[in-house]
Amino acid sequence: MNRPVITLVLAAALASPAIVRAQDAGQIMMEQQRRTDARSQRWEGLLQVFDAKGKVSDKRWVFERLGAHGRSKSLLTFVAPPDVKGVMLLVLSYPDRASDQWMWIPANERERRVALQDRATRFFGTDFTFEDLEERDVEQYSYSMVGDDVVDGVACWKIESRPKQAKASQYTHSYIWVRKDNYAFQQFENYISKELVRRLKYSRIEVVQGIWSARVAEMTDFRRRSRTVLTFEKMLYNTPMDEDAFTVQALRRGK
Amino acid sequence: MASSCRTVGVLTLLLAISAGLAGTARAQDVTQKGFLDLKAIAYPQTTVVDDTNVVGEALLRYEIAARASRWLKFVGVLDGRADSHDQVRWNGLDWSDRQAQRPALGVRRLDATFSRGSTTFSLGKQFVRWGKTDTVNPTDRFAPRDFLTVFDNEYLAVTSARLTSGSDASMIDLVVARFTPSRIPLLDQRWSGSASSVPVVAIDDRGAVFPNRPQIGARWSHVGRGYEMSVSGFSGNNHLPVIAVELVPTVQPVTPSQEGAVPQVAVTRIYPAIWMIGSDAAVPLAWFVAKGEVAYIGSSDGRTDEYFLYVLQAERQIGEWLIVAGYAGEAVITRRTPSGFAFDRGLTRALLARASYAIDTNRNLVIEAAIRQDGSGNWMHFEYSQATGRHVRVTAQATWIRGGENDFFGRYNRNSNVTLSLRDSF
Repeated sequence: MNRPVITLVLAAALASPAIVRAQDAGQIMMEQQRRTDARSQRWEGLLQVFDAKGKVSDKRWVFERLGAHGRSKSLLTFVAPPDVKGVMLLVLSYPDRASDQWMWIPANERERRVALQDRATRFFGTDFTFEDLEERDVEQYSYSMVGDDVVDGVACWKIESRPKQAKASQYTHSYIWVRKDNYAFQQFENYISKELVRRLKYSRIEVVQGIWSARVAEMTDFRRRSRTVLTFEKMLYNTPMDEDAFTVQALRRGK
Repeated sequence: MASSCRTVGVLTLLLAISAGLAGTARAQDVTQKGFLDLKAIAYPQTTVVDDTNVVGEALLRYEIAARASRWLKFVGVLDGRADSHDQVRWNGLDWSDRQAQRPALGVRRLDATFSRGSTTFSLGKQFVRWGKTDTVNPTDRFAPRDFLTVFDNEYLAVTSARLTSGSDASMIDLVVARFTPSRIPLLDQRWSGSASSVPVVAIDDRGAVFPNRPQIGARWSHVGRGYEMSVSGFSGNNHLPVIAVELVPTVQPVTPSQEGAVPQVAVTRIYPAIWMIGSDAAVPLAWFVAKGEVAYIGSSDGRTDEYFLYVLQAERQIGEWLIVAGYAGEAVITRRTPSGFAFDRGLTRALLARASYAIDTNRNLVIEAAIRQDGSGNWMHFEYSQATGRHVRVTAQATWIRGGENDFFGRYNRNSNVTLSLRDSF
């Protein structure tokens, strides 16, 4: 059962009281992962960055993923603002090794193998890092139950996660709030030692094609004192996708 | 010109037919974008042939892409230009990119792409880019550039047919192209590379001799477990010219102020036939991505050298910094002492570095440098860019160039500059 979890695939399956009553943190995370499973996913993202002075800048992209979590192909295509329109990021994920990533920048007319040794790098200058957006393998983390908690009026399990290998994450540990009613993620708090560096909060959690999915994710960077709001629009699961669209060749022809 | 018109006509007809065939498609997906770019370049120093200190440039670029069906896509890009320094010439709608000056109105790209499964066929004026390294790409033989301002250059598309086929792991890329030359600095302008100590001569520019034969190339690329690599071959002509110089007996004064006889030379741009075999690779390692590229350029033309070009570089992302550092080298196998404009070879025997920093979603900083291994020359470039609002980006750049008399950088000793540009994207 070596299935990863996508942090930003903000879903949990339909709550069914008969299915899981587990109180064990690891089992809860496994169940959460099981409920997010989808053959493919597509959504359009509106990303708004608010800096310390409250200044807003917007970016829009289309995200498409094909395949199971451990062996998936993802394509992210920026559609706005105009100066980044057409920029594409292709990510091929593997269960047993680091992902392959290529970037297509139209002005260069050539794909570029992405150097991404530092997963703490901010994603295009936003408050999300590449690690926050990538698939996480449940088995690379150990979990322990902190207890019950209430976030925004919603009953949750509060779970502590720690990477099993120190280099596996920029964070030393995280607290994860999982909703008791539908196993959807409610909130993440990511720490480096004792310092809270980022908080990811989900809202507008709705059922999309049978999967509980958040419509809004808000990341707050406490070091930079800025936040990024990511709104998921036109979300679809298990939609037919052409495998040939997730290749370097497809990047060249503009997909 | 007539052949250019014919080419445009044929392509237009072809695209129209294709569009008609695709008319049965259920839906059309059309996107468009573009920008207006205004640029001011200030040169603190004048040169022997050019005493202009400030140059203004304007570029309007419009791009439209239409997906007629799942298997057919069209892309067209049109450029409109103007400038204050006679670098732009009106000659109707330009297709071929063969004139010495930039066209006032030109087709930057116009191609149709047919896709079926893992096979893609593209026809028209398109970009063909090979190689993996930055700044110098020894295997990138279908990629002429506009070198009018040498270091601030831009790629030119080539009229070609391109077939790409293969799987995720391995791919073959076949290209047949009409020759497109790189646009080199204008002889009567500051980037011609005239050093201050060179005596003034009257230059009779006799233009260029373009090859008629097709440019052909093949590239096989493979993505393996933890690496990717390519092998490529090319037969055609170098898009960078050698300059044939001929002393002209007739003497004409260059300017009325000059007295007496002035030597006059006739210069012709010639694009020697070459062949190339090369390889490139990228290997993501724990601490950096290693990239390398090597090519052997051979020729039976007595006016050009035969040589190896190679680049080794390492890339690393550290927080918001992306750092690329490497070395470009050459090994001349047969030296025939050509004279010409060889940007790629001019940047060899040098350490190359680039560091870019994403300050936030709107602001970027870039520092680039090329430093000759023996310290005889260097080029440094600083760039700060900031988006304001949703459409406008302001960029400030400073370029510093120094080198010895015989060094490629040294040709441009008096061309250090400061540039301010404003781009409104739509």
